[in-house]
Amino acid sequence: MNIGTLLFFGLGTLVAGIALGPRLPRVWLALTIAGTLAMLGAALSMLGGGSAWEWRSGFQLGGETLHLRLDGISAIFLALVAAVGGLGAIYAREYWSDEQHPESAPRSRLWWCAIILSMGFVLLSSNGLHFLIAWELFALSSFFLITLDRSARAGRAAGWLYLAASHAGTLCLFAFFTALAARTGSWELGPMRGHADLGALFWLALAGFGVKAGLFPLHIWLPSAHANAPSHVSAMMSGVTIKMGIYGLIRFSGWLPMPDAAGWTLMGVGSVTAVLGIAFALAQNDLKRLLAYCSVENVGVMAIGIGGALLGAAHGDALWGRLLLAGALLHVWNHGLFKSLLFFSAGSVLHATGTRELSRLGGLWRSMPWTAVMFAVGAAAVCGLPPLNGFVSEWLIYLGLFDTAASRNPSAVMAMPATILLALAGALALASFLKAGAVIFLGAPRTKAAEGAHESGPLMRGSMGALASACVAIGLAPALLWPPIARAVGIWNPAWASGAPPVPLFALGMAHVLLAGLLLAGGALLWRRVHATGMRRALTWDCGYSRPTARMQYTGGSFSAIAAGWFSWILRPERLQHRPRGPFPERASWVERAPETVLERIIEPAGRVVMQLSNAARRLQRGRLQFYIVYLAGGLIALAVLALWTK
Amino acid sequence: MIAILEIVFRLALWLLVAPLLPGIINKVKAWVAGRQGPPVLQLYYDLARLWRKSVVMSTLASPGFVIGPAVAWVALVVAALLVPLGPAGGALSFKGDVLLLVYLLALARFCTSWAALETGSAFEGMGAAREVSYAVLTEAALITAILSLSVQTGSVMLSGMLSLSSGPGALLLAAGLFSVLLAENCRVPFDDPNTHLELTMIHEAMVLDHSGPLLAVVLHGAAVKLLLFAVLLSEAVLPLGRLPPLAAAGALAGSVGLVTVGVGLVESLLARFAFRRVPLLLTIAFLFCLFALVLAWIGGAR
Repeated sequence: MNIGTLLFFGLGTLVAGIALGPRLPRVWLALTIAGTLAMLGAALSMLGGGSAWEWRSGFQLGGETLHLRLDGISAIFLALVAAVGGLGAIYAREYWSDEQHPESAPRSRLWWCAIILSMGFVLLSSNGLHFLIAWELFALSSFFLITLDRSARAGRAAGWLYLAASHAGTLCLFAFFTALAARTGSWELGPMRGHADLGALFWLALAGFGVKAGLFPLHIWLPSAHANAPSHVSAMMSGVTIKMGIYGLIRFSGWLPMPDAAGWTLMGVGSVTAVLGIAFALAQNDLKRLLAYCSVENVGVMAIGIGGALLGAAHGDALWGRLLLAGALLHVWNHGLFKSLLFFSAGSVLHATGTRELSRLGGLWRSMPWTAVMFAVGAAAVCGLPPLNGFVSEWLIYLGLFDTAASRNPSAVMAMPATILLALAGALALASFLKAGAVIFLGAPRTKAAEGAHESGPLMRGSMGALASACVAIGLAPALLWPPIARAVGIWNPAWASGAPPVPLFALGMAHVLLAGLLLAGGALLWRRVHATGMRRALTWDCGYSRPTARMQYTGGSFSAIAAGWFSWILRPERLQHRPRGPFPERASWVERAPETVLERIIEPAGRVVMQLSNAARRLQRGRLQFYIVYLAGGLIALAVLALWTK
Repeated sequence: MIAILEIVFRLALWLLVAPLLPGIINKVKAWVAGRQGPPVLQLYYDLARLWRKSVVMSTLASPGFVIGPAVAWVALVVAALLVPLGPAGGALSFKGDVLLLVYLLALARFCTSWAALETGSAFEGMGAAREVSYAVLTEAALITAILSLSVQTGSVMLSGMLSLSSGPGALLLAAGLFSVLLAENCRVPFDDPNTHLELTMIHEAMVLDHSGPLLAVVLHGAAVKLLLFAVLLSEAVLPLGRLPPLAAAGALAGSVGLVTVGVGLVESLLARFAFRRVPLLLTIAFLFCLFALVLAWIGGAR
């Protein structure tokens, strides 16, 4: 089947899903799976070597003919949308079922299809106006998905914050696309490197797409939106929708002429985003906020890659720029896979215990072994540990940065700090995910809720299993992914179109296979040895305590205290303590909260000042005629004085 | 076939030589203190004994408590296989293998700490928290050191970057990497491998609940890691590639021995630092590596 047929089949089934979904959940599931499979098929046949697909209809929308195009870059993103869209639908069938959420489950199904469709259109549209329409539809579907559960105040607030931030970004994109159309004389999008005067527009695109991607400090909406949304929506938001911002940056940095500072800025912003994002993640006590901040970090990693590619293109040195862009593109996939996996596992925990607070969980491996294993795989992948997929893309980015440094190119002045910050971010990610995994799944349950947890059903486990096996597969056979990535790199910069990987991806894959084999062998050997020598169980040795309690365990807050302390200059943790007093203290408590510093210390105070000024100005509006006559007279006199003065 | 034999031979070398180092360190400490000390081969006896013992596992621990040490051990051994042995080169050598090495060390850290946290003990929690937090600084220092070698030699491959001299920054790099070695292997002044039951420990606090074969694997992995860092440090500083093969092998062995004795001397002559000063010390190690990088960068011609 050719790409066009598949795409239109996907479109038809997803529209049918929107129409029928609210009432017929099973039909909706079948339609969504069929639609996303068709989209995945189209994207994969494009990635497998198809030529770019273009379609122009006579049909007009907003005075412009509908023009769709799928090429190597958009296919990468479309494949991710389709994969997470389909698996998320399977997951949501169980996670957000009609029995538990009779009021919002139908809406969830409707907007789920809508967001897949609108993201598909963002990726396909080749016309600025239609891009904006699709972008807006996509933002609105996200808003309705975030606010599915309207009973919680935090969820509604997160939805509004998202809507406001997203529209601030869209405003920049409006300016970007209209300026683009005004200068080129057409809304059609495509390579425009010839127009040297378009360079400055990049800054508008960076602001607009940066808000969606969550680059620091434009990420303010991201943690609360991703944390308060239902988990299948969080997976979609963190795994896929923020990648639309990355898509915009890659797409338009490939098409437009770039200002010289673009690469430097993007790499610098990316490094800062990576380190600060993961520092915020480390300090969180809310599992889903932790995951959301980690997405900020990974967006930073991708931005380092894109910035490096821009520097590479500017300095005429093909090799390391290519590596960095390839790393960023591969990281789009990898992060989409493991972050969806982690959010699915988080949803499974939330579903079983009703809480996202790390300090109320613990010991869940016994009741939820499947989820525990899935979370561990996701955590290892997000920390970039071999032999999983996260390492492959980080390896490509590191290699690009090392090559930049080794080649003694002027860009190395930026690449060397970026390398060190990336290493710092990697080590902090390890601490964050060790904290999350251990506090949730290991040790003893800290509350009744954690004690009564239960494993999630087969659909939720199945979708997690599919994502985890994708993470393992990409790690073991990274060389297979090189051709589609290389083609996308070649589309981004035609000078870089060549086949053979400049790095030994095949050797890395072999090393990973060897490592995986040895890990299995080593694990089996030790497992058998332990059982052969005889094993008995006893209480955890705690310096002689005979009855340890769950409250004596190390907490997540204590675990992260050392490293989070190094970042207290930006984390600004809020502490509330009641010290024990007197010989028979009744109660003592210690609560620590890591606020979203940029939002709560900068944006909100600024907003309050604006509100105060507006309130002061409002006093002018008294609603009485006499005052308006006075204003008019005053204004006239002032004008007269001004006229006489300047004469 | 020959390749497989070579890997098996290297594996045997790493596995058999590694437990020698802690023995030498202990002998040096005993000698400085004027004691007889345990035999140099003590760790071999301990490992053999532990491997035969049965295991006591915490009631809270999951199968991850067994899998964790196994994965960490395999990761360390594979990392060791990546390290070139002077004139013999590395068993697996490809561009970017140095990053695989760094992340294999991270994998080992992840799994050791995961296994430590299995027990829900506050001691092990403290140990693991310190381990991963200080690793943030050591990893930055290590990557900076590698970056300076890479800038110096123009290579991103272990065999390429370690065979040449590390240039004008060699001394700085040696100081930085030696501090990283001490911190990563939990030696004085960062940690004290002798006192097991203190609140102040890192690595020893993490393995409090491990016993029998599990503890054997952890101890052996730690020995392999120490040898790995000693080899890495020696090769980063000495221009082994310019010597004839036999001399290079001798120089490498001698230098590893020297580093080991150095660790023993540091341990005898210094006291462990207070924990709040550890980050400061690690930052200094990072700065050593950073200055080595700056020197390599402005050093220019190679």
